Amino acid sequence: MADVQLVNVDKIYPGVKALAVNKVNLSIQDGEFLVLLGPSGCGKTTTLRMIAGLEDISGGDILIGGRRVNDLEPGDRDIAFVFQFYALYPHLSVRDNITFPLRAQNVARAEVEQRLAQVAKLLQIEHILDRRPGRLPSGEQQRVALGRAMIRRPQVFLMDEPLTNLDASLRADMRGELKHLQYELGTTMVYVTHDQVEAMTMSHRIAVMNQGVLQQVAAPLEIYNAPQTLFVASFIGTPPMSLIPCRVADGCLFGLNSDFRLTLHGSLVQALNQYKGDIIFGVRAEDVTLDENPAQGDIQGVVLVRELLGDEIIYLVDVGGSTIRTRTSPRVQVAEGQTIGLRLNYQRLHLFDRDTEQRIESKG
Amino acid sequence: MATTLERQLPIGQTAKPRFSRLSDRWLAGLFLTPTMLLLLFITIFPLIWSLFLSFNEWSVTRNALNAPIWIGTQNYAELLSDTRIGERTWERFIVTGQFVVPAVTIELLLGFGVAVLLNRKFRGRAIFMTVLLIPMMLSPVVVALFWRFMMQGEGILNYMATNWLNIGSIGWLTDRNTVIISLIIVDVWMWTPFMMLISLAGLSAVPKYLYEAAAVDRASGWFRFRHITLPMITPLLLIAIIFRTIDAYKLFDLAFVLLGSQGGPGRAGQTAALWVYEVAFSNFDTGMGSALGYIMLIVIIALANVFIRVLNAFKGEGAAA
Amino acid sequence: MNRKQPVWQRVLFWVVLGIVMIFFTFPMYWILSSSFKTRADVTSRVPLLIPYANFQPTMNNYLEILTDEPIESAAGAQSSGSRGEFRNRLINSIIITTLSTVLAVGLGTLAAYAISRFRIPGESDLMFFILSTRMLPPIVVLIPIFLFFSNLGLKDSFLGLTILYTTANLPFVVWMMKGFFYEIPVEYEEAAMLDGYSRLQAIYKIVLPECIPAMAATGVFSAITAWNEFVLSNLLNRDNASTVPPYLNSIVGVGAVEWGRLAAATVIFVIPIIIFTYLVRNHLLRGVTFGAVRR
Repeated sequence: MADVQLVNVDKIYPGVKALAVNKVNLSIQDGEFLVLLGPSGCGKTTTLRMIAGLEDISGGDILIGGRRVNDLEPGDRDIAFVFQFYALYPHLSVRDNITFPLRAQNVARAEVEQRLAQVAKLLQIEHILDRRPGRLPSGEQQRVALGRAMIRRPQVFLMDEPLTNLDASLRADMRGELKHLQYELGTTMVYVTHDQVEAMTMSHRIAVMNQGVLQQVAAPLEIYNAPQTLFVASFIGTPPMSLIPCRVADGCLFGLNSDFRLTLHGSLVQALNQYKGDIIFGVRAEDVTLDENPAQGDIQGVVLVRELLGDEIIYLVDVGGSTIRTRTSPRVQVAEGQTIGLRLNYQRLHLFDRDTEQRIESKG
Repeated sequence: MATTLERQLPIGQTAKPRFSRLSDRWLAGLFLTPTMLLLLFITIFPLIWSLFLSFNEWSVTRNALNAPIWIGTQNYAELLSDTRIGERTWERFIVTGQFVVPAVTIELLLGFGVAVLLNRKFRGRAIFMTVLLIPMMLSPVVVALFWRFMMQGEGILNYMATNWLNIGSIGWLTDRNTVIISLIIVDVWMWTPFMMLISLAGLSAVPKYLYEAAAVDRASGWFRFRHITLPMITPLLLIAIIFRTIDAYKLFDLAFVLLGSQGGPGRAGQTAALWVYEVAFSNFDTGMGSALGYIMLIVIIALANVFIRVLNAFKGEGAAA
Repeated sequence: MNRKQPVWQRVLFWVVLGIVMIFFTFPMYWILSSSFKTRADVTSRVPLLIPYANFQPTMNNYLEILTDEPIESAAGAQSSGSRGEFRNRLINSIIITTLSTVLAVGLGTLAAYAISRFRIPGESDLMFFILSTRMLPPIVVLIPIFLFFSNLGLKDSFLGLTILYTTANLPFVVWMMKGFFYEIPVEYEEAAMLDGYSRLQAIYKIVLPECIPAMAATGVFSAITAWNEFVLSNLLNRDNASTVPPYLNSIVGVGAVEWGRLAAATVIFVIPIIIFTYLVRNHLLRGVTFGAVRR
């Protein structure tokens, strides 16, 4: 059990100008389940591999349990790595695959057997110990990979998109199992994924990355409710947050590329009082209420698209050339082309500076 | 152990039934027919003809116009018996073994070793690889000629041996004891690239993440080799060994040009293939030459059979549940 | 993982690689340098290794080969053949090798496809039979083929030798491609056929592009075999459709061997193969792993 510290970590690939990982500072607590989340190519896997020692560190330091590990071989860092494709040795049985790390270090036979029994029981794979991994379904292969990682009792678990190759229902099951497992073992876990559902449901904290830069590190709900950058706001949340670029004038927002217009109230006016530049206005679908009577809305719009999801309906509404999404219960049924009104929850609007893409705080 | 070749599936796939849609079956025939026709035509006919000849006394070179004289299994009897010819036949097979086994073994070890060296990225790797492939692209006749040139009593090899290494002249092709070694050297020179290419391909196909997993597990180099590399490339190497062994076994042009049809002094280097040539052409006994050729064929078929079973056993082991 | 290796390991690596390279490249260098030597230099007892320092390089050998006019004349050395013979033979070799390689790879791939995709009775026996055709010792085949082809009028023809080389290479192609097909999931073709393509179209659009690496590899091996084949060519095609390898042998004259000319001819003769290999080099490595290595 140990904490993991990343201090100003960089990664440069020769011949490539942009940094793959750019000045990442991350402090992972002992026993924490931290998810590195981001789209492909954002640098999350590279960061994970640097922690593991599978990639060299171009700049900065990585400390595990207070120990600087930059120059240590992967095998000396007391970590375990679960690969996206499981990396199980095809010619060894499940039993031999799991005990491989211990046998490679000449651990005593009795100890090996005991740990194997523990792990097999915990992961419910006792019945497949003598089979070859090639013939197993992916769910079981994944458990074998987990077993191999767990048997060493490392200080840190590192996982690279382990659930990506499973089908949807299995993935849902495994999410719960992994979270429970981490809770039981109490081991620090660093988990890479591009799937926000995994990130939101399993982690203590999420570290969102984009293009090598760490965007925000916070608990899931905070990431959801108070995204610090435009990227985080647009990446997290289904359906995506509605974003409209605007300029500020006379206590109103005017769409930059459209006829969108919103009058501001209360604290928002103060927040934007001194604001000189353009902003980007964002609101989540659940914070927008649809009113069939256009006059009763803060803004008016025309329904463009309707998505019937069964337990709710999502409407895409044209507001003067820009679009806003709103969620309603199935009972509110409005036709495409109809003019309706939208009421916004002013407590839950998000404003971002257009140039820096950083969040603008509003008081209240 | 099944003797059928096991189907290899990517991890995660379950076995699916093959296509047997009636409308498609004619395609199988269409695809197979040209190949089978060629193979049958070109090989079956000579096989049968040779078989016929082997039961006859005839000479295509001396008196082809005379009809072959049926002598039954006399050719075979002579070749396999205690007579001078029979003994000589037996010796030829021993010489063949003395050539094929070391040659293929060295080619395997050396080729694999070089492949391991070339498997990491380093500057100029492509050049090394390309240059190392050239020996097998040259005509065997030329290779043999030039090595013969270099191995002459006053050739460059002996020049280096006496003047640079101080070990005196070696009778590469003239000393009974070194003739086979010389043949091995030339064959190794020519065919190691083949083994190297196949080994390299096999090595580069092992997924990198297996090695990474082993690194995380602190496996030693030897452990990695034995449990990851070796199991993954063995099937490939076995097939390469089968083909190379078959080719070395029936090697003719290289040995002929290097040693002559009698295989050098005292027939020290006369492999079975050379002996067949001598019998059939120098001795003008086509019938016996054919019989001898048949014996060679039977031996190699038996050997190859064993090889294939080993190969299947290995593959079957890998797929066992 | 690119941790810096200890110095001694890197030194050892380069030393071993160096020794290996010397063993393999020295004879090649010897041939290459001989091709630029005069008759006197080539047969010198003291090996002359370095051009311009030990010997004066000359292009005479190449010129002689390419024009078939001897420039130096030496007692006892026979000049072989008529004017332009090497060039003719080179062209013949190119034609025959290209044809037989294309046929071998094409037919062999189709056959391998059929064996791997359709249920064929006695499949493993069939594969063993195909392998066994490669085991035939040349002698068993030589005389019958000679008589056979003579009767059919295939002696000394392009067609005859092409057929022989194609047949000689088929077993290797079939074995290599069959393993390769195992690696390509059937689902690709099934999906295409569900989309309305006929099987032939599915093969053409989906399967063949995947096969190109393997076909390149087998093509290279087949080409090398056909290009350098000596015994059959020497026996059958002596005049009209003659290839280069017997010519190389004939340079070994009655008297002294024309090493310089032989070397030059060898160098010229190996260049097309090197070019071909270089062109497909990227496919070569990928193509040889035909499913015998699991993923």
